[in-house]
Amino acid sequence: MPMYHIRSKSRVDTEVDLPTCMYKLPNIHGQQNRCEDQGHQKWEVDPEVKALQARQDEIMQKLYELEAVVSGLAKTVSTPDADLDALSISQSPYNSALSDPLDLDGLLGQAGDCGTIRDIVINANPAQPPLSLLVLHSMLCRRYSVLSSIHVHSSISAVPPSLLGCFGPLYTNGCRRQRFQLIFTLIWKDVPRVELKFNVPSMCAVEGEGNVARFLYRLLLAPSKDPVLATVMDNWVDTAVFQLAEGGAREQKAVVQALNMALTKDPWLAGPTLSLADILCACWLMQTGTASVVPSNVQKWLKSCENSGHFCHALSLMIN
Amino acid sequence: MLAELGWGWIFPPAEPLPWGNKAQVNAFCFFLLFFPFRATSCGSTPEGDSQAQSKKALKKQQKEAEKAAKKAEKQAKQVSTMGSWHEGDFAKDQYGVPPMFQSQEKLDRVLVRVQDLTAEKAGQLLWVRARIHTSRAKGKQCFLVLRQQQFNVQALVAVGDHASKQMVKFAANITKESIVDVEGMVSKVEQKIESCTQQDVELHVKRIFVVSQAEPRLPLQLEDAVRPEGEGDEEGRATVNQDTRLDNRVIDLRTTTSQAIFRLQSGVCQLFRDTLSNKGFVEIQTPKIISAASEGGANVFTVSYFKTSAYLAQSPQLYKQMCICADFDKVFCVGPVFRAEDSNTHRHLTEFVGLDIEMAFNYHYHEVVESITDTMVQIFKGLRDRFQTEIQTVNKQYPSEPFKFLEPTLRLEYWEAVAMLKQAGVEMGDEEDLSTPNEKLLGRLVKEKYDTDFYVLDKYPLAVRPFYTMPDPINPKYSNSYDMFMRGEEILSGAQRIHDAQLLTERALHHNIDLEKIKAYIDSFRFGAPPHAGGGIGLERVTMLYLGLHNVRQTSMFPRDPKRLTP
Repeated sequence: MPMYHIRSKSRVDTEVDLPTCMYKLPNIHGQQNRCEDQGHQKWEVDPEVKALQARQDEIMQKLYELEAVVSGLAKTVSTPDADLDALSISQSPYNSALSDPLDLDGLLGQAGDCGTIRDIVINANPAQPPLSLLVLHSMLCRRYSVLSSIHVHSSISAVPPSLLGCFGPLYTNGCRRQRFQLIFTLIWKDVPRVELKFNVPSMCAVEGEGNVARFLYRLLLAPSKDPVLATVMDNWVDTAVFQLAEGGAREQKAVVQALNMALTKDPWLAGPTLSLADILCACWLMQTGTASVVPSNVQKWLKSCENSGHFCHALSLMIN
Repeated sequence: MLAELGWGWIFPPAEPLPWGNKAQVNAFCFFLLFFPFRATSCGSTPEGDSQAQSKKALKKQQKEAEKAAKKAEKQAKQVSTMGSWHEGDFAKDQYGVPPMFQSQEKLDRVLVRVQDLTAEKAGQLLWVRARIHTSRAKGKQCFLVLRQQQFNVQALVAVGDHASKQMVKFAANITKESIVDVEGMVSKVEQKIESCTQQDVELHVKRIFVVSQAEPRLPLQLEDAVRPEGEGDEEGRATVNQDTRLDNRVIDLRTTTSQAIFRLQSGVCQLFRDTLSNKGFVEIQTPKIISAASEGGANVFTVSYFKTSAYLAQSPQLYKQMCICADFDKVFCVGPVFRAEDSNTHRHLTEFVGLDIEMAFNYHYHEVVESITDTMVQIFKGLRDRFQTEIQTVNKQYPSEPFKFLEPTLRLEYWEAVAMLKQAGVEMGDEEDLSTPNEKLLGRLVKEKYDTDFYVLDKYPLAVRPFYTMPDPINPKYSNSYDMFMRGEEILSGAQRIHDAQLLTERALHHNIDLEKIKAYIDSFRFGAPPHAGGGIGLERVTMLYLGLHNVRQTSMFPRDPKRLTP
């Protein structure tokens, strides 16, 4: 029996939780769910990682869509259209290359947000100036407001002054580039073939005078719905570019004969008015130097080409 | 192991040993314990320690005596050979180290430049002063490569009628980089010497004298300094890193590459002056100690100026404009520019040479832009046409694409650049300034489309330009300002300046600038100022970008940056 009994001041029945761990550190391999549940988490899910994941998902989605589209296209290309009958194609009215201006936005495929850069860059060799492009440039200038400029690349040391002024006098009057619908930049450079660069990220360079001419012509006139006419035009373009330009004397003679034959029926080569076929054939015919000794049909046709008013710059270059 | 032996033998083994009986073995143990076995002693005798030691000392003495005898012999031999050095030397007047050149006499000797040693001079006996680039002795011959600035030629000293063995030995022992005067016969070679610039000829040496000797240990080897980076890593040979080069700039500047770089830089400066003088510009010199910081304020060096302090000029902007107001019409100035920016990048220096232009125009600031771009194009053309050797020399060590440009210069507008960048996937605001990576990307896009390394970007947004920039007349969000880029990096920042004192004051207030500090500047426009515009380039940066180098310190002779003040 104890002598003195004192009432206890503190409660003895509470359990004291003795710690077993001296220093506690957060788990660096911690699972994210657990972290969110607990009140004191040191590691939050990085919002940037989430954004990155979201972007990746978006890109994958786009890829799948593209894949679907491409496979659809592949099917349509590989199966020939056996049902198409040439006779059933309607003869749509022919549009002249000089009528209403087309929607440049639609043609050149500009997205709305990026602002519009419509700068067409053409690299050409001064040793072989592409006259047809000068004609097309003149046609473009009638149609749209075009800012043209000519540059000489450092790969060429000197260029005759006639080539520097081949667009005629250029008046910009200090206007902003934004004011113009189209910017046409011609660079005299040491290149093997004429090149056109337009939208470099999404479009590779267009090479060869014929192809560049086709591209520029497309800005002036929608492609003909009549496949026969389109083929005829293409045929004449190829004839001009391959046979007249690069062929020997005999080939050129043959072409002149063919021209003569074609021009007996119609005043123009493809369609009722001046077209790309006429431009290219006329330019290359003039460049071969046989323009004076040609049959009468061809001569009449050449005269009409000159009278159209677009050939003056090309002709002045020929004279120099 | 000896201790083990000793200890092991104290307690004699229980089994009988193959040699001797127990008593003998015990005695042997005792001996081993107290007289540690000596491997060196031949015939260990059971005599005392001292005796053994003295034997050792004796041996040592013997050896030393032998050594001394040998040395004496050698010296005697040397003395004898010294005597005979000049004995059989019939050519001793043809070589040697003359006394230091203190202008003792004025010789009328013609020294031919190494670059003029061509096949035309074959058969001629002439004098050349150059440095020893390398020397290689092979038996009775010694091949030397003599270097003078960018050119080097092979020279041959061979034992024969004119040269003795001692002369060949002397030539082989001349330290690298020493300056020598050599008299020799120019002779054609059948096989081209690929490693020298003068490939058709070599010099057969008759006389060789050392004008100035170099110390044998060079801080860096010139061959290593000229070696291209990749080649060094591949073949395991050394290349010199930039800090070593800059610390020993005098030697580094002797390399062919450095000579070419600085000759080209001199060409840039000269073309700049010539082109502008031909256009009717006047060269002016502006003060570099100024009273108030002109542009920003934070990046100026302070100097103590008698009882007050002054600043080192960040740019000659203020004074160029004052000259225009003083009716000089077209001015340019070439001088140092001091920027106290703590930027340790590949393209910033604290002190560099600025080439600045300012011009009054008639109606449109594009007149000035065309003038500046035409000057730049003339510089590029001049370099392309007249400095091809230098460009090729630099390309050997630092290969790069040749510099391309258009004439007249391509001029794009800021909105176009933003559109091109957006198309390429960059997200930026319409009035945001271009960051350095965006500038580089834009440079690449322009190169892809137009194939030019030099272009002008016009009509920057007003918000990112200094207060004295004239706003665009139609769209006040933009300004009449422009930047020029070479290889995607900015080289010139310019604009039409505000020439109206009132508008200038408004713009300064808008930018929260203390009007008191720029009072003198604003005053210069109060008494009739013509409309004017201009810009400035950095000589080192232009040279670096033209050659396609990667660090501006390579084009600055003694560069200054936040970490470097010497040499």
